[in-house]
Amino acid sequence: MSHVSVNLHLLVKPEVRGIRGNGPGSPRPPSASVRNAEPAREAKKTLEIYSVELSGTKDIAQTDKADGKEKYRGLKNRFEPRKNHQKEELKKELDLDDHKLSIKELEEKYSTNIITGLSSTQAAALLAQNGPNALTPPKETPEIIKFLKQMVGGFSILLWVGAILCWIAYGIQYSMNKSSSLDNVYLGCVLALVVILTGVFAYYQEAKSTNIMATFNKMIPQQALVIRDSEKKTVPAEQLVVGDIVEIKGGDRIPADIRLLSVQGCKVDNSSLTGESEPQARSSEFTHDNALETKNIGFYSTTCLEGTASGMVINTGDRTVIGQIASLASGVGDEKTPIAIEIEHFVHIVGGVAISIGILFFIIAVSLKYHVLDSIIFLIGIIVANVPEGLLATVTVTLSLTAKRMAKKNCLVKNLEAVETLGSTSIICSDKTGTLTQNRMTVAHLWFDNQIFIADTSEDHSNQVFDQSSGTWASLSKIITLCNRAEFRPGQENVPIMKRVVVGDASETALLKFSEVILGDVMEIRKRNHKVAEIPFNSTNKFQLSIHKTDDPNDKRFLMVMKGAPERILEKCSTIMVNGQEQPLDESTAEAFHTAYMELGGLGERVLGFCHLYLPADEFPESYSFDVDAMNFPTSNLCFVGLLSMIDPPRSTVPDAVTKCRSAGIKVIMVTGDHPITAKAIAKSVGIISANSETVEDIAKRLHIAVEQVNKREAKAAVVTGTELKDMSPEQLDELLTNYSEIVFARTSPQQKLIIVEGCQRQNAVVAVTGDGVNDSPALKKADIGIAMGIAGSDAAKNAADMVLLDDNFASIVTGVEEGRLIFDNLKKTIAYTLTKNIAELCPFLIYIIVGLPLPIGTITILFIDLGTDIIPSIALAYEKAESDIMNRKPRHKKKDRLVNQQLAIYSYLHIGLMQAVGAFVVYLTVYAQEGFTPGILTNLRVAWENGNVNDLEDSYGQQWTWYQRKYLEWTGYTAFFVGIMVQQIADLLIRKTRRNSIFRQGLFRNKVIWLGIASQIIIALILSYGLGSVTALNFTMLRPQYWFVAVPYAILIWVYDEVRKLFIRLYPGSWWDKNMYY
Amino acid sequence: DDQDEVNQNYLADEEEEAEEEARGMVVPDLEEEEEEEEGQEAEEEEIEEEKEEEEGQGPPTGNAWWQKLQTVSEYLWDPEKRMSLARTGQSWSLILVIYFFFYASLAAVITLCMYTLFLTISPYMPTFTERVKPPGVMIRPFAHSLNFNFNVSEPDTWQHYVISLNGFLQGYNDSLQEEMNVDCPPGQYFIQDGNEDEDKKACQFKRSFLKNCSGLEDPTFGYSTGQPCILLKMNRIVGFRPELGDPVKVSCKVQRGDENDIRSINYYPESASFDLRYYPYYGKLTHVNYTSPLVAMHFTDVVKNQAVPVQCQLKGKGIINDVINDRFVGRVIFTLNIET
Repeated sequence: MSHVSVNLHLLVKPEVRGIRGNGPGSPRPPSASVRNAEPAREAKKTLEIYSVELSGTKDIAQTDKADGKEKYRGLKNRFEPRKNHQKEELKKELDLDDHKLSIKELEEKYSTNIITGLSSTQAAALLAQNGPNALTPPKETPEIIKFLKQMVGGFSILLWVGAILCWIAYGIQYSMNKSSSLDNVYLGCVLALVVILTGVFAYYQEAKSTNIMATFNKMIPQQALVIRDSEKKTVPAEQLVVGDIVEIKGGDRIPADIRLLSVQGCKVDNSSLTGESEPQARSSEFTHDNALETKNIGFYSTTCLEGTASGMVINTGDRTVIGQIASLASGVGDEKTPIAIEIEHFVHIVGGVAISIGILFFIIAVSLKYHVLDSIIFLIGIIVANVPEGLLATVTVTLSLTAKRMAKKNCLVKNLEAVETLGSTSIICSDKTGTLTQNRMTVAHLWFDNQIFIADTSEDHSNQVFDQSSGTWASLSKIITLCNRAEFRPGQENVPIMKRVVVGDASETALLKFSEVILGDVMEIRKRNHKVAEIPFNSTNKFQLSIHKTDDPNDKRFLMVMKGAPERILEKCSTIMVNGQEQPLDESTAEAFHTAYMELGGLGERVLGFCHLYLPADEFPESYSFDVDAMNFPTSNLCFVGLLSMIDPPRSTVPDAVTKCRSAGIKVIMVTGDHPITAKAIAKSVGIISANSETVEDIAKRLHIAVEQVNKREAKAAVVTGTELKDMSPEQLDELLTNYSEIVFARTSPQQKLIIVEGCQRQNAVVAVTGDGVNDSPALKKADIGIAMGIAGSDAAKNAADMVLLDDNFASIVTGVEEGRLIFDNLKKTIAYTLTKNIAELCPFLIYIIVGLPLPIGTITILFIDLGTDIIPSIALAYEKAESDIMNRKPRHKKKDRLVNQQLAIYSYLHIGLMQAVGAFVVYLTVYAQEGFTPGILTNLRVAWENGNVNDLEDSYGQQWTWYQRKYLEWTGYTAFFVGIMVQQIADLLIRKTRRNSIFRQGLFRNKVIWLGIASQIIIALILSYGLGSVTALNFTMLRPQYWFVAVPYAILIWVYDEVRKLFIRLYPGSWWDKNMYY
Repeated sequence: DDQDEVNQNYLADEEEEAEEEARGMVVPDLEEEEEEEEGQEAEEEEIEEEKEEEEGQGPPTGNAWWQKLQTVSEYLWDPEKRMSLARTGQSWSLILVIYFFFYASLAAVITLCMYTLFLTISPYMPTFTERVKPPGVMIRPFAHSLNFNFNVSEPDTWQHYVISLNGFLQGYNDSLQEEMNVDCPPGQYFIQDGNEDEDKKACQFKRSFLKNCSGLEDPTFGYSTGQPCILLKMNRIVGFRPELGDPVKVSCKVQRGDENDIRSINYYPESASFDLRYYPYYGKLTHVNYTSPLVAMHFTDVVKNQAVPVQCQLKGKGIINDVINDRFVGRVIFTLNIET
């Protein structure tokens, strides 16, 4: 693990590139923090810093060099100090030095030749040595293991133990009496069957969602064009070896990590690595110390979008960057889901109860002079009777129902148990790009006429309300339209503008779409204003220029339009257009420009300046031939028209979703690879940093004091960069996480994402991580619930995640939280409902042992309750609506708010359960008494009752009963007891609808499924008694109709009792009663 | 963590208290069980917690066991806060009181219900008799099995039958019957109208009715001669009346095998039937001295030294003797294996 960690910290700030990439871009203006002091000078100063992104990455390399290789070393090292660490680290970093080497050195290093390539023999040897160029697939659990896992988890174990105990009991019985009843065998089989069927069901459910995801293999390129033995050959990509010279072209997936040797207009999409889908230019020059930042490396599994390139393979298979991330992800253990922990806890409780009661009664039975073997059978019987046979199936079905509901709302759950996890989530670590934002550049603000205008950045752009009447806008719009090389791919006339595919980079695309929305057919406008010359953007000029004939037939002048880095544009201007009129550019207007520029920059936006010039017709007649190399036209004294800023805007649903998370007590932390300013701006606009909270830096600036002097307690928000994070000890990180409610992590590496997740988990938080890139996959895996983006997400991310948002919409998480919390509450109700009757089913057996009554209810009958009448009602509880606004309460505490707590167990077992048992006993005793056996005579009747040779057993009236007549009466007793429980379970079901509110407030009829459940209960009972009453094997008899109503008063009593309980809980919150009776 | 523990302990106590109350109360056993469970749970949880702690803190800090023990003992009795099982005396008494009242009222409800139940059923006449009808049949002597295996020349092998029969017939002694019961006219029901709760008279069934099987002349009931007597009685059912003029008859035959294995059977009374005057039965509360009529079967000539399955059936209207599942309704099957 350690060596991987070392390596991965190299994946630095991938997002930086995404946003600020290669567009005709703009320097990021000074950060807001320096805004107040001497704008012009400050601007210049900061411009130097921010211009790095424009001029390639050379400058950044310089700034980065300062802290050198240390810079992105993960915190991880601190956690696992190792002696040989340093060495390994060194080794790894050497491996990634290839981008710094010259071609000669490379040739030497890999003993290859860039003209002739490797020889076949060399290649074969290397292949044998290093293995094929393919990712070792994540240790795929064989299907059969997955299947078996479903059969042994949590609950299932309980059932298996029950089944085995049943068979053991039968074995004992059989050894004593060859003709003993087969009930125990049946019971064991039924238990086993329940586990198997439920396992099959759960397996099927998960397989279904896994299949949707099974696309990982698509990442591997099939063929590669390679030069070997001086010949170009097409070989399977798997056979590539280090030193091979490969050629790639637009549309190819890059077959290995390659050092680019020659490049023609090549752009790559590194989204599978970084999650950022903005195309990035490649070149053969070494531009950055960091292998991930430098332009002369192409990474395995990324896509070449356009152009061609040739390169030398420097890493293959698992040694590629992506391979290392993949192995890091697979090295992170899967966390147990909270619900799995809860179920385990529940199993402990049930197991503890079962074994304690069992042993206690074993002792009692022995002291009552029962045969030891009989006592053992009692012991087993009691343990098995405690097993809630139906619960496994119920829970599984309930979870998958919720999973289905969530899938409808675009949350695809891969692991059934993860359904609940979101509900317990207390911290969401969200990636920025693509999750919180739309992942596309969009025009956000305009500045002209000394005024900032806000553009609509919503997903459809439909509502552009800024003032378009000014003459300046007319000019500006013309520049935007004309000075732009981006074009719509043809044949998309019917596609909404915002969804059309554009050929061109992100900024130009944004401008194209912006103008298309406002002005209509841009291509037509361009056609009318014929382009006669053009200088495309390059990083030296930092501007883009084109010269057009105008569409005004009366105006023979050429129009020169220009856009670029605002300060560069301003330098070239001598006038500025205000309200459509050209005015000289004086100090005050320049200052206004800077203020606007910085304000927009402070919003984390990319700013472009626009200017134009009508070339005088006399100097530039219609026939004038423009030479872009000689620049035979003026590029100064232009007319400045306006600024336009762009940002990857937040999705419109996100702010609302963040607010909801907030009110639900969930901390939303942004973890991004992007620049702190952009990150903070987005965080502010989506509410991750709320409007009125400040960071330490903000306070310092407001009070004009040094950052160190600020009382840290005053700041609610914090923006932490990867560099700062690197210097933090785990304790400091803990402190940070506890003290600040609003945190943004910027410029983080995948390794650091992992550290942040671990830090959150140390706070006992249940952590959800959202992400889309391969770089997110380790954190996704580490999180309690990893949430991948379905559309933008890379396959690796989807693989590592537990849940996939099919619409990439952060707001879907809120739905997930809501559903998760609801299912937790409802599972509680389901379990309470199920546990209650356990006592009613167990008491008869205990009484039978102690008092010697004829057995009140038989095993098979119990099964018909657990797996028959009770199943649908307990599932129906899953449809129950929330009692109060579950989104207004804090997430549950992992260790305090258990699914099954003592209150629940006590209330179910000792209160309602006992009442139920009493009610059912009354039905049973009524039946016996009316048939002739009054309760008095039943006592200690067991032995004679069960003796098949006693065929003249006297009842209370002196009547004599044959054995079979008694048996039949016993079955009638079973049926009566069954009906008694069933009737009271109806009441139990109704009271479980709520835990605190009155049922009437919840509404008796809002959950229709409950009534379906009740109907099913009654119908099943009627069928069992009247339909199958003649099938002796089932031990049911036709019960006289009046017995169905004997337990009704008890059902009402249960209802009343529970209403009183809830009333007191509501009346005296926090009281003894509340603490002890609220589950 | 501490809080957790307190929380859990607190919960645990509750349960235990509940149990304790219960102990003193209606359902002692149940509660005790639960006490135990809960104690266990609490412990389990503690252990879990501690594990977690350890994980959290890295290497465990020595004598963990001692600490654990201390925690447990403190949990059982905390002298500082004067708490047992994390609950103060006050808290304990509150719980005891509440559970006492809860279970007391539950007990009251049961009592009330049982009381109502007894109000609705008559002590003289069962509410329903359909399950006990049609009548079953049983034979005497009966000693654990329906196989009569004995050797004529070895009294030990049949002596217990004789003792059993003698004991059974004590209640039929003529003197006793004459003293207690009335001699009622044969061939008709002995109907005694009047109030339910009036004591009913019973008809005599004298031991001497059984003649050779009465044990008066032959005190060995024929066992010493290889001609065993077996008494057959019909199960009592309150209110059961055979068809008028058609008393229930008994007839025996070989159940499986050669019909001639039994060459002759004598029935006593000779009619081989239960006289109508013994019906109806009014239930044991008022019909105290009711004596079940008997039919004795004297197997005077049965094949020796082999098992002979015999089936004796009741015949008459309202009698069913072919229920598959119940081999004692209207019939009885036994085997005779008389060795010489």
